[in-house]
Amino acid sequence: MNPLSIDPSRLPVVSGEQIPGSLSQAMLLVILLGAAAYLLLQHGVVKSKAILAAGLGVFALAVALAFSVIPLQLDAIVRMCFSVLAVGGGLAFITAREPVHAALGFATAVLSACGVLFMQSAYFIAAATMIVYAGATIIIFLFVLMFAQKSKLRTYDIQLTNPVIATVVAAALMFAVAWSVAEPGEVLPIKVDLTRPYSLAMPGDAPGVNMPPTAQPEMTAQELEAFTPAKTSGLGRSMFTDYLLAVELAGTVLLVATIGAIVLAQRTERDAA
Amino acid sequence: MNYSEAHNLLLLGGILFAIGLIGFLTRRSLILMFLSLETMLSGVSLNLIVFSKMHHNYQGQILAVMVLTIAACEAAIALAMVVSLFRRKPTLDVQAWDELSETIVPRSLDEDFEGFAKEEHYPKLVPAGLDPLDQPMPGASQAVLEKTTGTLSGGATGNAEVNQRV
Repeated sequence: MNPLSIDPSRLPVVSGEQIPGSLSQAMLLVILLGAAAYLLLQHGVVKSKAILAAGLGVFALAVALAFSVIPLQLDAIVRMCFSVLAVGGGLAFITAREPVHAALGFATAVLSACGVLFMQSAYFIAAATMIVYAGATIIIFLFVLMFAQKSKLRTYDIQLTNPVIATVVAAALMFAVAWSVAEPGEVLPIKVDLTRPYSLAMPGDAPGVNMPPTAQPEMTAQELEAFTPAKTSGLGRSMFTDYLLAVELAGTVLLVATIGAIVLAQRTERDAA
Repeated sequence: MNYSEAHNLLLLGGILFAIGLIGFLTRRSLILMFLSLETMLSGVSLNLIVFSKMHHNYQGQILAVMVLTIAACEAAIALAMVVSLFRRKPTLDVQAWDELSETIVPRSLDEDFEGFAKEEHYPKLVPAGLDPLDQPMPGASQAVLEKTTGTLSGGATGNAEVNQRV
């Protein structure tokens, strides 16, 4: 009955992982600085190099402050490099005036996010994201941009709609995210059905065995592995058993979207005339 | 997975989402708006994968796969729409398609824009050359002049003769 040969009695009952204290208030300052940096950058790209340099300085200050706030361990440095690359690419994406440069910034951001996903051992999703975003989307849209774009910058690339309001909205959103991450509330113990460890582990009252915290010293590596969603085979097994209907629906949606794209892109008689 | 790692990655997902939001609200090029949307989606799937690891199951990863599928569909449809819109009006400006918006909304931002306004230099064409009837070219041979004006001996007298004949 138990394919993993885990003795349930050995698994300790835990009442959720203890969450360390609240986020420092400096995070608010970081978010405000980042918003100011964006506004300075987007003005500086059009207006003058001095404003651009000031924006970059404020951005660097925000990054430094964030690093001083966020606890940084030695093994997290690569992940942090990917994160900084992702944020920097995103910033280049929203500040660049040249659409091709903006698309390249987007590619940088998404590929760096894929690096982070690799480090979270979501290998399949990282690879698929790279193929879909960087492989298909970026290439096709760069083609379209290059065909549609004359050598001169258009007005609609330079003159943005309401950058201040958008920045305020995004900063408010960021603050809400930071706040809710800092105060996550009680974390329920997680239970897992040992016969299907790849499957639905449920918090709270679901049937099954209490999930141990990750760093249980008395667990063997094999037992720990059973509780870590780090294998593509496990993902596939879960996807094609628990979520078979969703997978079929996603395939249908893909088919319909393909047909729709072909129909939409066809040249009608009126266009040809 | 310790908590600070998850904390940082959730913040990173939020930052990516916010960047995409800013891009979507400010950009006016159809394609860049679409890429902003994709940035938001990638922030969301990063969040989902972090949750998946926090909760020790594959639910989040499967949701991320679904997000990826929908993003691919959306890319195909959006590209087809951009192509067919571009065929009607050859511009990527999203404000070229705001006929359905409120009339009280200011129509366009382009009027008061001054940045990048460079003085345009066109070549000035000075009138050059000579009217061969008024002033025959000094070095022109007699044969050419006779061919063009008839029986002329050349110079100012030739002009006078022409005028008399006319």
